[in-house]
Amino acid sequence: MLIEVDHLTKRFGKGSSQFIAVDDVSFEVRPGEIVGLLGPNGAGKTTTIHMILGLISPTAGEVRIFGKPFDAHRQEILEQMNFTSPYVAFPVRLTVFENLMVFARMYDLREPRVKIAGLAKLFGIEAMLRKPVSRLSSGETTRVGLCKAFMNDPKLLLLDEPTAYLDPQIAAQVKQILLDMQRERGTTILYTSHNMAEVEKMCSRIIFLSRGRVLASGTPIEVTQTILNEDRDEPALEEVFLHVAQRQANEAA
Amino acid sequence: MSRKGKRMKRHRIEATIMRHTYEARRNLDRILDMVYWPVLDIIVWGFFTIYLGRGAAMKPGMISFMLGAIILWGLFFAFQRDMAVGFLDELWSRNLVNLFSTPLSVSEYMTGLIAVNVLKAAVGMSAAALIAWGCYAFDIFPRLPAFLPFMLNLMLFALALGIIITGLIFRYTTKIQGLAWSFAGLLMPLSCVLYPLKSLPTLLRPVAWMLPTTHSFEGMRQVLAGGGFSQSHFAWGLALNVMYFVFAILFFRWIFEAARSRGLLVKVE
Repeated sequence: MLIEVDHLTKRFGKGSSQFIAVDDVSFEVRPGEIVGLLGPNGAGKTTTIHMILGLISPTAGEVRIFGKPFDAHRQEILEQMNFTSPYVAFPVRLTVFENLMVFARMYDLREPRVKIAGLAKLFGIEAMLRKPVSRLSSGETTRVGLCKAFMNDPKLLLLDEPTAYLDPQIAAQVKQILLDMQRERGTTILYTSHNMAEVEKMCSRIIFLSRGRVLASGTPIEVTQTILNEDRDEPALEEVFLHVAQRQANEAA
Repeated sequence: MSRKGKRMKRHRIEATIMRHTYEARRNLDRILDMVYWPVLDIIVWGFFTIYLGRGAAMKPGMISFMLGAIILWGLFFAFQRDMAVGFLDELWSRNLVNLFSTPLSVSEYMTGLIAVNVLKAAVGMSAAALIAWGCYAFDIFPRLPAFLPFMLNLMLFALALGIIITGLIFRYTTKIQGLAWSFAGLLMPLSCVLYPLKSLPTLLRPVAWMLPTTHSFEGMRQVLAGGGFSQSHFAWGLALNVMYFVFAILFFRWIFEAARSRGLLVKVE
């Protein structure tokens, strides 16, 4: 297994103000899979990804990546994986090229300029390399983040809503690049998105979270059948999402 | 970040240096911080010493004491401020998640930040020293060998304070970012920068004695007065620094792990 998440739990706060963001979540991701981590807002997707990255420490449970416990092998593991999210940013006064050079040095690339030029061409940001990040649109910054995420040719990519700010044409290109990477290099991708059509196209398996718990996991059709509790011939993740969001809202009320 | 099995890698330290060197080049605030205040301080205090020098009550060597003190205080203040502001730059740009989702460790990040800040402090100090030499005939350069140990102690203390303030910003976020600029000023009255320890009220002297800055400025005055290098002040300063530095590292580790546990690393702004 490439990722093993074992009884992962995260509680914030103490006493009566305690909040359980992730509640005893377990799942596995096999090498070369694209797995969707789905759920309504507050389901625990981003907290789970942050725990996999070591940015938040779990209250209980363990994360193993490449067969090794994350805590004991953090640097070795992070050298082979990467992450991007449109909700994190880059230093705005630095140019796109300077930002990418910092990450190229971070991963000790031998020919950073060649790598950056290649990635800039792939994601269509060649014309922006000399611009400060402050002058980019949200969609352009998202593409810079994707360039950063591919800087070390990762075996494992964690993508938090990678197409959130992209226009449909660029989003389609990005999805194709991700599928190509998975097919040609066997890159494993753990993917969160609120775009259910995109998830159905991209992901071979889904882990559906609600209120910090795994509600269902399997192929898109299996998740559809489990959560809607009826036989279906086609996946209907949009319907599943609305069903779960409504149920979550009712429970909260 | 786990401390098990960690090894510092030069390229990741260099990446941190690159990140802050680019920032220093592109950010006018950082350029001003680097040279503006040290130069302004030395100009104002230089004129003041000229004025004092005309008075009959001025003791010999007083001008050197004051200008030397201003140059060294500028070094201490700049180094402490830049350690905290370097980290604040990551918060303001929401870059922490990008950085710490790479193999970069906190030790590598801090080492890179220290390296950049040593260079920045040296630029500011050199500018102030050149103005003192050119305009006020105070030449610090021949005294540098005797001053260096005291400068080292000032920088170690500034580093320990910078680490503690960075830790506090981790915990209390940018609400307390003003500490980055103001904390050194809080220590100035007790550090005996411009006057000897014996001029403080008796009650405050033990407190001042516990500050490595006091020993550096007392030692500097002894050198300028022709009393030679004070091993005692250097040793006291160093011993205190070791104590504060160990405390700063332990405090930072504790607060960093607490920040990870509370999820502040991904939320802090």
